[in-house]
Formats: sequence, C-alpha cells, structure tokens
Amino acid sequence: MTRKPLHFNAFVMNTTSHIHHGQWRRPDAGQVDFNNVQLWIDLARLLEEAKFDAMFFADVSGLYGDSDADFDVYVREGLQIPSNDPTVLLGALAVSTSQIGLALTSNVVQSHPFHFARQISTLDHISNGRIAWNIVTGVQDNGARNFGLPQLTDHAERYEWAEEYVDVAYKLWEGSWDEGALLQDKESGVYADTSKIHKIYHEGKRYTVEGPHLPSPSPQRTPVLYQAGSSKSGRAFAAKNAEATFIIAPSPAVAAEQIAQTRALAVTYGRNPDDIKFFQGLSFVIGDTQEEAEAKAAEYETYVSVDGYLAHAAIVDASGRVYPPETLVKDVETNTMKGFLEWISQYITDREPVVGDLALLQSRNTRIVGTPEQIADEIERWQDAGVDGINVINWVIPGSFAEFADKVLPVLRDRGLAQRNYAEGPLRQKLFGEPRLNERHPAARYRGAFADAPVPE
Amino acid sequence: MSAEPKRLILNLFEMNCVSHITHGLWRLPGNNRQRFNDIDYWIELAQLLEAGGFDAVFLADVIGAYDVFRDGPETALREGLQIPSNDPLLVISAMAAVTKHLGFGVTFSTSYEPPFAFARRMSTLDHLTKGRMGWNIVTSYLPNAARNFGHADEIAHDHRYEIADEYLDVLYKLWEGSWDDDAVIADAENLVYTDPARVRYINHVGEHFSVAGPHLSEPSRQRTPVLFQATASRAGTAFAGKHAEVVFTGGPTAAGVVAGIQAMRDAAVTEGRAAEDIKFIVQAGIVVGRTEEEAAEKLRAYRELASVEGRLAHASLPFDPTAHPPEITVRQALTREGKTAAPGAGYLPQEQTVGDFLENIASSWDEQFFVVGTPTVVADAIESWLDDIGIDGINLRQYHSFGTAQDFIELVVPELRRRGRLRESYVDGETLRERIFGGSARLQAPHAATRYRNGANLGAPRLEIPARV
Repeated sequence: MTRKPLHFNAFVMNTTSHIHHGQWRRPDAGQVDFNNVQLWIDLARLLEEAKFDAMFFADVSGLYGDSDADFDVYVREGLQIPSNDPTVLLGALAVSTSQIGLALTSNVVQSHPFHFARQISTLDHISNGRIAWNIVTGVQDNGARNFGLPQLTDHAERYEWAEEYVDVAYKLWEGSWDEGALLQDKESGVYADTSKIHKIYHEGKRYTVEGPHLPSPSPQRTPVLYQAGSSKSGRAFAAKNAEATFIIAPSPAVAAEQIAQTRALAVTYGRNPDDIKFFQGLSFVIGDTQEEAEAKAAEYETYVSVDGYLAHAAIVDASGRVYPPETLVKDVETNTMKGFLEWISQYITDREPVVGDLALLQSRNTRIVGTPEQIADEIERWQDAGVDGINVINWVIPGSFAEFADKVLPVLRDRGLAQRNYAEGPLRQKLFGEPRLNERHPAARYRGAFADAPVPE
Repeated sequence: MSAEPKRLILNLFEMNCVSHITHGLWRLPGNNRQRFNDIDYWIELAQLLEAGGFDAVFLADVIGAYDVFRDGPETALREGLQIPSNDPLLVISAMAAVTKHLGFGVTFSTSYEPPFAFARRMSTLDHLTKGRMGWNIVTSYLPNAARNFGHADEIAHDHRYEIADEYLDVLYKLWEGSWDDDAVIADAENLVYTDPARVRYINHVGEHFSVAGPHLSEPSRQRTPVLFQATASRAGTAFAGKHAEVVFTGGPTAAGVVAGIQAMRDAAVTEGRAAEDIKFIVQAGIVVGRTEEEAAEKLRAYRELASVEGRLAHASLPFDPTAHPPEITVRQALTREGKTAAPGAGYLPQEQTVGDFLENIASSWDEQFFVVGTPTVVADAIESWLDDIGIDGINLRQYHSFGTAQDFIELVVPELRRRGRLRESYVDGETLRERIFGGSARLQAPHAATRYRNGANLGAPRLEIPARV
C-alpha cells in the first residue's frame, strides 16, 4: 500500500551543541563552524536538493540552569552558547534556495510585537512566502534576566502574554492592509490606496500598538505558526493558534495520545482536527546492515557528554555544577527533576536510577538505529500514531542530513512516505494547500476588521 | 600640498521601501524601486556596488508612518513614502552572501527594542559578513513610531539620548566585555568548547535596562560594529563625541556644516578622544552625464516627476501650504489652521509667503552637496567638499535605482580614482572599520566601549534587579 507522504524538517540551531551534546568533537562535525554563513548555505542547498520541507531553527534567549549559578558547564560544552541569532541568518538562506521552508524560533520576550511582525513580513517577502515562526515563551531565568525581568515569568502568565503578542501580530499581518491596497500606479503617482490601509489601535495588558503595519502584505501574511509547548497551557495555546506542533514523544503510543488531545482541544476552539500538523523529533543512526548501525551507535555513544545532557536538562546543583553521574536521581532537587524521575522510572525498574542513566537515556531517547528499511518501518509506526511529519535531529552537520537524504529518503519515497517534488506556492500552501490561514484560525477575524475602526482617545 | 589626497568614503544611501527621499521618482522609466520586496533587487544592487568599488550600502529606517502632515498617513501611503517599508537588518545576510567586500551600515533605533537581542543580531551579522557591519545609531523621531511601541507620544529628545547612552553601555558590555578573544578553544580532546574563565555575566543594572548576560555570541571580527550616528542636534553632538566613529551630518549651509563638524570634534576631545577619531559623511545628490546637456536632461526628468506633496509629508509639516493662497505668510496659514502652537511650527520661516515657502521646499534638494554635470565637474565638487568643507565621505542619494549608482560607477569612479580619491580595489579580508580608519578591526582606547575589555568595569557578580515602579 502506498502511504501518504510525511513532512520532513531539519532541526538545527545556530550553535555548536544543540541536542546531542559532545558530538561536536567528532571529526566530521561541521557545526563548530556555525559562525560561517557558508555552512548554513551549503546545508540549505543540500536539504532543498533532498526535498526537505523546512529547515527549523531552534533558539534561546539565555542560558539554562539557575540564573545565579556558575555557567561553566554550558560554556565548556558549547551548549547553545556561543549561539547566534537565527532571524538575521535567514536572508542568506532565502537567497540561496527557492523552495525549502525556513522556520525560526523567536521568544515573545525578545522583541516588541510591532518590530517582530515587521521582521517576519520582511522575511516572508524576501523568501517568497517560506517563513514559519516557532512561538516560544522561554524556559530560562537567565533569558528573562537578559530582558529586564527578575526571573522567568510564571508559566500560565507567559502564555497569556503570548496570546496578546500573537494577537498584536495577527492584527498587523491580517488586518492592517486589505487585499488590493497596493496600486503602484505610475501614471497617477499613487502607490497605495489609503482607504485600504488601517491603523489597528491595539490596547491590551502589555501592549499598546497603533499601526499601520509598515510592510505591505507578504505572500503568506501570517507565517506558518509552530509551537512546541507540552504543558497544559502550552497545549491550549497550540490548539488555538498553532498550525504545526513539535513533539518529542517517547513512543508512538504517547504521541497518539498527545495528538488526539490537542486535536480535540482544537475543535473546542472552532478549528478542524487536521488544522494542526504534528512533527515528532527523531534522530537516526543509519547502517547498511543492522550490525553496522549498531556499531555506529556505539561509536556515537563514545562522544556522548553526560555533563552536556544533564546540564541541558538543568540537572545541576545550586552552584551550577552538574551532579556526578552516580548521584541517585531521587536525591536530586531541581525543578525539572520530578518529571524526569517519572520518565526514567519507566525504563529502570530493577534499581535506583542514577543521573548518569538519565544522560544516556536522553541520548538514546527517540533515536532510531537500523538499516534504511528498518528505519522506514519505524517511521511508519509513527505515522500510524497520527504523526504528520518528522523533525530530524542531527548528530553532526551536515553529515546526519546528508546520510538521511542519501540512504533513508529513497526508501521512504519508494513507500510513498516522502515527497519527490515540492508542491507549488508558499510554505503554507505546500503544507495545507492554501497560502493564507484558513478562516477558522483566530487571526482570520481581523481581516477587514479595522476598516471602520473608530480612533480611540 | 599634502602627499596623499584625502580618500572619499563612498556609500550608497538606501532604504527598504519604495520612496526614500526622492519622492515621486519611483515612476521613472526603468526605476527598480518597486522591487524592494524582492530579494533579487538587493542582490543585484549589492553586486553592482561591489563591482563598482563602493565602501558600503547605508540603510536608513523608520518604525512608524509619516502621519503629521494633513493629520494622517494618507499622503505618505499614496506616495509610497517610507511605507510600505521592510526591516533593513534582514536583507543584509542575503547581500553578504553574494559579496565579499561591501560594507553595511544599518539603522536601528535605541528607543524601543531591548538591547540584548539587538546586540546578538549585530554580532551574528558581523560573523556572517566577516566584519563588514556598521550600525547607524538613531533614537527615532516619528510620533507614530512611539505609538507603535506603547508610548502616548514621542519620548522627549534629550531623554531619548539618555536612554541611548545607557543602551550603548549595555551593548559595549556585551560586545567588548562579556567574552575574551581566546575564549573559544574547541578542545575536543578534553571536551572543552569554551573556557568558562573567559566568559562572564555583565550584570548591568541601570535606570532603563537590566541585563544579565553573558552575551550569547562569541566575539566577532569587529566586536562592536562601526558606529555611525545621524545627528546635527546639541544632545546628539555630545553623544557623538562619546560614541560615534562616523557621523552622518548635514545642514543648509556650508558654514553650518563646518561648525557642526568642529563642535563634534570638540566633543570628542572633551571625551578624551582625538578630534580626527570621528569621520563625517553627508548625503549628496549627484546627477552626472557624459556631457552637460545629458546631465541637465536627467535633472529635468527628475524634476518633472518630483512630488512636492511627498516632500511636505516627509518634512512632517504641521500645516498644509497647498491649501492656502500663495501670497499669505506661513504665520497666517498656521493661524488659519489653528496650528501656531503645533510641534515644529516654531522652526518654520513664519514671515515667508506660502508661495515662496513651497518653492523653497520643492528646490531644497539642491542646496548643499548637490552637483549636476560632467564627471570632471562632479569630481571637482567632491574634492571641494572633502578639502574645503572637511567632510570625509558621502551617502549617495538615489534618484533612480540602479541608474544613479550605475552612472556614478561608470562616469565618476574612474575620475575619482585618477585623482587618488578612491582606491583601485578592495583589500581582501578587510573589515569595515579597517577600511574606513586603517589600523585595527576593533575600537581603540579611549573609546568608551574599550573600558569593558577583559571584563573590567562590569556589574556585580550577582544581578540585583531593583523593583520597578
């Protein structure tokens, strides 16, 4: 039976050590050269050649861990520091490619929505409609402290903040300029029809924004909206706003449950269940035989940095030091630990788990080791669970993607699981068939909403 | 006669919009300005400028609409006057990817966006361009911009410079103080990517900002981008004396420009810097032809399509001179509109007739740093600006994109090279700062930024954020 194609994103970050910590030491690890634009241009071209749907840039606005503690471990590991801004990189990628989607992560704390909305419109113009925005609210105290806050804003309040932030952006993207506002009439000298351009007069708890939006409507207007929160308020936000969510479920069964919940929640917001696509994060160790794949996996593990995985999970003491690997998980008191303890207890039942277990499990988490055929079989299981796409997590750049493209994608294509060619049009059209948000999305209510808006005092 | 003639700093003046300064001219045949949404426009432009030997493209920006004239943005929208407009930072990496030498001067306001994210964007761009970034520091002046960022009205002028001063301080701490040069060691053997002892929090706590750091990007070629500043005001002058490396200035008279330059040099000396630590560039209008007739014909075509309304809206005029009989005075017109106390009214020539006032506005392109003629005439004028007025460079105003730059490259550049005013070629691997100043890719002491080098003068080891009212 031929299957429906899945979507494939390349999950990357403008840094040395993104997810698989310690791998930067491998001789073929190109990510240490992330300051060089050529690394990213070459990768974008490789991915486009392989018909990846998008290149997905993660980002942070500060360090992990306790904000008053030493940050030695993060710096030593190259763990998302040094890291560069993804937004300003995308122009170079837009000009080096013509089809692949370009997704960037931006935290609501880091930019005023008026400014951010303009940046996105600019990128959507210059990429001809290939931009996606991964909406994040931050998980780091240090990130908050880089932006004048004493600490990370309370979880539920962050999402309330994000709601207002996207609301401002939606008004600018969807409501400020009507279709047909640009006349570009050289004869009369009239560039734009002022009756079709509106101020938005947003007034909310955190923002007061007059408008009008400065750019004219871009091909997608609103970029494709990604979201990755798994908490209750995060999921509610996704159900209402996201068009794609990024999950890292430990198994297809868990994914199926998460997906069903979020889809059901989307319906309560007046959206259709399939208005949201789900991307599972997976990494791959590929061999021509199973033995070869396993040998490679063992080799990759020799590069695993236990400290790196622990630090990324903020399993550090009050001074910012990583716990020794033999520390019992139950003895560790961090905010993040409770969830991890529950998680690890599913895997280690015959003894008390130690933090070293945690690191190794993290490195193996959602990792698929096998031949291209075996990997395709596994991917089918994820698709059967309701997953629409895969975020391919890399060990090394560009090798992990080149190998996936050379070895796995041909098998997936034979099974109908991966596209052979790009569909027409902007990124949203490639994913959903239409270049603009559908009318069920909350942003759609601002179309034409400001035509007769009264001027507030 | 000195041995070496002063070399011209040559920038193209640009903005990510249709009608930047020369309003109405987007309609000229062959003008590409309508293509500004299209990345190919910027690529073609960057390649043209690099082939022609330009030092940099200088990107202006505003973050609001011009809506003072006629109490609304309608005129600006009709004219395409800086709206629609896109963000300038985001086209730079595209231009950088297709060039090796061209520098970038990009405008960004210190008034509305948090410094931490901006510092990282500039570091990222300086990495991506291998040290070709300049930043044009502005504090924003449009009332609509203020209202887009939650303020009821413009922040008072001098207060904006106070905020800017602290903004720069935060940036310097991040760019110059947070990381040592040799912090990244990428030691695979010992699993040490960066030496933690050479990276630090900045823990800045000030009146307007509190920022923990560390900077997320490692030091780029220039660390701090070349600091441009556009100003002619008094608060701006003191600020330039402390911060600016290149001042984008101007004024209606040569004497005024000379005095402004001297004031800023004096301000630099007051800050302990050398008078020549600041270079000065002006906006220049140059219409060149192979013959006088050809140049005159171009000028005629430009004047014919020039929009006076665009100029009025751009000037944020508090009254509408086109709505009054030409023989009454500006004062009378203001009175009739009830605008005698409007912001900006005090600066208007109130005793002039409305007719004369309009006439002057229409021709105000041609006042300073404006020349029409053959390459010889143009080069003579530029030499006089450099040697007699004492400027160091120009931001070339565009009447036609890409015609203005093409004409300059084809006709003027060879002449200036013959006279030793432009270099024959770029130097490989040179940063923008090295190109403009010679010497180092980095800022030099006693510039205010350098006091944070190696982590000196940073904040307390712990960030203490005061409760805000």
